[in-house]
Amino acid sequence: MRWIAVILGLVITTATWAEELTARDIIRKAMDHYRGQTSYSEMSMTIHRPDWERTMTMQGWSKGDKHTLVRVMAPKKDAGNGTLSVDGNMWTYTPKINRVIKVPSSMMSQNWMGSDFSNKDISKDTAIIDDYTHTLLSTGEHEGHALWTIESIPHEEAAVVWGREVLVIRDDWVLLEQQFWDQDGELVKTLKASEIREMGGRNVATVLRMAKVDTPDEWTEVHTEQVEFDLALPDNLFTLSSLRNPRQ
Amino acid sequence: MAGGSGVIVVLAWRNLWRNYRRTLVMLLAIATGVWAMIFFSALMRGMTDQMVLNGLATLPGEVQIHHRDYRRDPSVANSIDAPSGELLAALQQPPVEAWAGRVRVPAVIASERDSRGVTLLGVDPDAESELGSLPEQIVQGRFLADSDDRGLVLGASLARKLDTELGKRVVIMSQDPQNDVADRGARVVGIYRARLASTEEQYVYAARNTVQGMLGIGERVSEVAVSGGDYRRVDEWAPRIAAAAGTQLEVLTWTQLDPFLGSMLAMQDGFTVIMMVIIFLVLSFGLVNTLAMAVFERVREIGLMQALGMRPSLILYQLLLESLYLLLLGLATGNLLAWLTVKPLESGIDVSGVAEGMEMMGMGTVLYPALAVEDMLMATAVVVVLGLLASLLPAWRAARLDPVRALNKT
Repeated sequence: MRWIAVILGLVITTATWAEELTARDIIRKAMDHYRGQTSYSEMSMTIHRPDWERTMTMQGWSKGDKHTLVRVMAPKKDAGNGTLSVDGNMWTYTPKINRVIKVPSSMMSQNWMGSDFSNKDISKDTAIIDDYTHTLLSTGEHEGHALWTIESIPHEEAAVVWGREVLVIRDDWVLLEQQFWDQDGELVKTLKASEIREMGGRNVATVLRMAKVDTPDEWTEVHTEQVEFDLALPDNLFTLSSLRNPRQ
Repeated sequence: MAGGSGVIVVLAWRNLWRNYRRTLVMLLAIATGVWAMIFFSALMRGMTDQMVLNGLATLPGEVQIHHRDYRRDPSVANSIDAPSGELLAALQQPPVEAWAGRVRVPAVIASERDSRGVTLLGVDPDAESELGSLPEQIVQGRFLADSDDRGLVLGASLARKLDTELGKRVVIMSQDPQNDVADRGARVVGIYRARLASTEEQYVYAARNTVQGMLGIGERVSEVAVSGGDYRRVDEWAPRIAAAAGTQLEVLTWTQLDPFLGSMLAMQDGFTVIMMVIIFLVLSFGLVNTLAMAVFERVREIGLMQALGMRPSLILYQLLLESLYLLLLGLATGNLLAWLTVKPLESGIDVSGVAEGMEMMGMGTVLYPALAVEDMLMATAVVVVLGLLASLLPAWRAARLDPVRALNKT
């Protein structure tokens, strides 16, 4: 699919781009762009609250749309905590109790490790491609790049609470912003990229902040320190035993 | 002899009205007592009936059939096949009036703002409406149309807590038998109101086939609820259902499913009798006093009748008759009064002033007194039997009077 990007690079006006690419293709490419076929990343996550703040560093692996593994490296008291997500199901491992626990459906809408991300955001982040109907709202420009603003409306029976999501994607497939709107047309929360750097051979949003509109002084920021794409990952990486016994 | 008792009947009646003021006062006392007995037992019956009916409507049914492990772990894994064969035959004959297979699993419902734990009921609207277990009042929208409806019906209080409303989409999440997440989005097609806010917050209704599809359990259900008319008579037919269901399934009556409700009912019946007896005891002092007075006034007269050859048993009979007339007149007035006061109140007494306390006891904000024939008969029986017993003493003393002494009494 890389040839599409090459051809697109040759096309001059953004208007013609929009005609050739459907909104769904754009999102598909943006998702592929930051996940790759496979990916490995090191990141730090900062959870900010009015009266406290803490930072965790972690490693993450992903394969395709449906396999994700995240493991906490620091601080020491959280080190070793892991989350595995396969096909929308989710398991956590806590070394202190030496148990793999399946996250029950009742906890899927709870927050993930105390952050502003929900378990669902982590385990089903690519579900947006198939669960929503996408339309291109507008095209714009930003620092020499073309921008697409896409409105995604969930299908009638998709397991999604949002009324719609609005995604802003740059022509190098970086997701700049993802807005979550409720069904009354009010903005509830926003995931926003505030730094974009070249890393692992691609432009990557290295600082992403998730914040609710109602509580602006509570947010979670993910800094990507290092990322590699399309590397060979062992087949047994996304299994419960690997969640329990890190081999990396 | 027949003539003799005929005279006695007339004599007793006339004696009663010789001192009509005293008789009227006594009548008033008995009537008030009887009215109080019936009125308060109607109130109490109304309260317990309501508690039991509320309980049965949410149970629902008087008899339920489950997987043996369902009550210990109400998960979807402990579901049962839809009734067939012998059990189906037993469910289709009287006294079973209605039955419904339903999916009932713990679930989470999420809106944009909040998520809450609920009990998801996958119901067949037609069967449930016969069972009387549907929400009493749909305040917005509609109830599910059939077992394939794709919508959800929420309680008003739950909708408020989730910050959602009619026509919006919510996500319902549960687990399939393999413990994998089963979820789907659904539109809120109706909002119901229940007597208790806690009911509104707990139960979410969806169509049965839709829920079965989401959970991937085919035609299986969590429970079969069976109803057969009078809930007080459930023990007469429950064993037949149990026999038809076989040993693999657990068949329980509502008194076993909800022992609190069962004991409430037994307590209410006991209370009614105790209250009636207490009211009567108070009344009986007046009654005995009146009769003793009547005998005391007529000592010479009784002596004369005895001297003329009337047998003591007839005197006893006459005084008991007097007492019986008094009691029957009082009962008639009291029952009528009670009927006249309770009937207009049966549409409900608003007690919303103490709503919170009532809700704690599982009742709504309106009291519905229930006038039961049993209670009226019970009051009548208590008054007649105990009244005659109480009159026995003065009547017996009158019958035992020595005619010579009685005649000489000044």
